[in-house]
Amino acid sequence: MILQAQEINKFFKDPERHQVLHKVSLEVKKGELLSIYGESGSGKSTLLYILSTLDTDFKGSLHIKDQDIKTLSPLALTDFRNQYIGFVYQFHYLLPEFNVLQNIMLPAMKFAQKSNEEIKHDALLLLEDVGMKEFAKRPSYKLSGGQQQRVAIARALINDPALIIADEPTGNLDQKNTDIVFDLLKEITEEKGKTVVIATHNSKIYKNSHRTLEMIDGSMRL
Amino acid sequence: MSKSIFNKTNVFIALQYLSARKKQSFLATLGVMLGVTTFIVMINFMTGVNDFLDDAVFNGSPDIIIKPEQKTTSAKKTFGTRILSLKNIEELDIFLRNQENIQAFAHQVISPAILVSDTQQLPGSINGVFPSEENLMVEIERRLIQGKGFQSLDNENAIVLGVSLAKRLQVSVGDELKMILPNGKSRQLQVAGIFSFGITTIDNVRTYFSAKTLQKLLGQDNAVTAVHIKLKDRDNVDIKTRISQNFKDTIVEDWKDSNKTIVIGNKVRDILTWSVSFALLLVAGFGIYNILNITVIQKRKDIAVLKTIGYSSKDIVFIFLIQSMIIGLIGAFFGVVLGYVLSYMISITPLDTSDFIIVDTYPINFKVIYYLLGFSFGLLTTILAGYFPSKKASKVDPVTIIRGI
Ligand SMILES: Nc1ncnc2c1ncn2[C@@H]1O[C@H](COP(=O)(O)OP(=O)(O)OP(=O)(O)O)[C@@H](O)[C@H]1O
Ligand SMILES: [Mg+2]
Repeated sequence: MILQAQEINKFFKDPERHQVLHKVSLEVKKGELLSIYGESGSGKSTLLYILSTLDTDFKGSLHIKDQDIKTLSPLALTDFRNQYIGFVYQFHYLLPEFNVLQNIMLPAMKFAQKSNEEIKHDALLLLEDVGMKEFAKRPSYKLSGGQQQRVAIARALINDPALIIADEPTGNLDQKNTDIVFDLLKEITEEKGKTVVIATHNSKIYKNSHRTLEMIDGSMRL
Repeated sequence: MSKSIFNKTNVFIALQYLSARKKQSFLATLGVMLGVTTFIVMINFMTGVNDFLDDAVFNGSPDIIIKPEQKTTSAKKTFGTRILSLKNIEELDIFLRNQENIQAFAHQVISPAILVSDTQQLPGSINGVFPSEENLMVEIERRLIQGKGFQSLDNENAIVLGVSLAKRLQVSVGDELKMILPNGKSRQLQVAGIFSFGITTIDNVRTYFSAKTLQKLLGQDNAVTAVHIKLKDRDNVDIKTRISQNFKDTIVEDWKDSNKTIVIGNKVRDILTWSVSFALLLVAGFGIYNILNITVIQKRKDIAVLKTIGYSSKDIVFIFLIQSMIIGLIGAFFGVVLGYVLSYMISITPLDTSDFIIVDTYPINFKVIYYLLGFSFGLLTTILAGYFPSKKASKVDPVTIIRGI
């Protein structure tokens, strides 16, 4: 089991205290492609921020790779995230000051387990996997949305993380690009043994995932 | 995991951000450079002048002067004929010899006199000194431009005088000079040495002559008109009150009383240097603060992304702080270089002798400490200016930002 979440409750204090997640529990196996769907406002993003360790302000317990997330210091958590979790957002945000290759290299340069030459080599291989090799030297802001999302997926993969979390990764893309991106994510699970959790509205995606969960008003439908 | 926040990657990211804003970065660097340059040039110049004046004035004049108090009634009687002498000289000597803080003291016999050369006739005063005593007070050798110093005064007819006075009298070493004293006695003298302290107030009036001979000519064998004292620690003038208490009928002045304008001038120059430099560095620092602050606001999304991909708050602080440090280092470095070049150029610029000081070029200090100080100030300003925006950047909450993207 790569991820175990038990009875997660999430409250927001703004504008008044209200509960957004109600006793959400889920388990994700290694190599699984899990998709979560649900109406807008049902709490998908909120859950994914918690699962990806960005948001630690919740009740309940979360274990990733058997590590209790709540016991980690902020600094240790940053390192943990750097090593084990890749994150892909709806708006595929790349850093405009850096070119495509550098954007992909940044998490690995922080991880600092390999020389920059090795990292560059890995990054180019990943760019090839996502079909973007010829754009390596291009400033990241000079790419289309679909292209940027592919680069963002490569960036999420550079440290060879166990878990990839994607919040509506195709939300901004047309059907053709949606297919490309989804196929990529599926390939990652099936060929590289990665675990992927996707939040999505797209029926084609959740129908083609290994497993699908539905969220209704902050609760996981059983 | 990378162990230290000071690593290649963070520096690389910082450089990338800097070069993405070349123009702003350049202007910020320029600001720091000007601040540091101004500081260095000003401090070199101001302390150069201060040190020059200190050296000339405080070596040329004593730390403490003891004079007899002039009683108005007796003044009328003695005027024109007899000079006013200190009383109880032997007791005073014993007292002074037993004081901790006194390095040396010297008796002075000063009388008004008229000096007559072949072409000129000038009223002035003649300063009788005891060569062995005066040698401990004034480093005359260092000031001589012609002839000999105090040892020449063993010759009864020798006179040593300031360069401006010599010029006015149109005499040089070896020339004859006649001295006429208030009691009518006169004496033919020979110029034995000419000195320059570099300041008009001394070079224009100061003469040295044998005290013994002067006493004889005046017919007041043991008259001493003043005692000059050189202190070990010049800032401690406690001795002043002790002398006045123990010896009535004396006036005791310290160097601060005698050189009020110079002491004030030094203070003014110090204040000016520090305040102008501080103001300039403040402006430069504010520029950097502004640039980084705007960047942090504009780059909140980037910071959020960096955090999600594994950069810690400390990394973020460092990435932004290093940007201001790079600006600071480069600016301060060129500031030091330019500061040196400008100081050097001022130091070789010929100068018309002013009314106050007599020099060929401005006295400029080239102390290494000022360059280190300027460099440190520049760097410190930028680090301070960069710290607050950097701290702000590190506080960006990635979830809030990413929700909004
Ligand atoms: N910072 C916040 N403060 C208060 N309430 C919030 C905050 N962020 C989200 N919410 C609320 O939490 C609930 C869940 O939001 P969330 O973004 O998780 O929904 P979602 O399922 O991702 O929706 P969508 O499909 O539109 O992305 C919503 O009702 C939202 O208004
Ligand atoms: Mg959402």
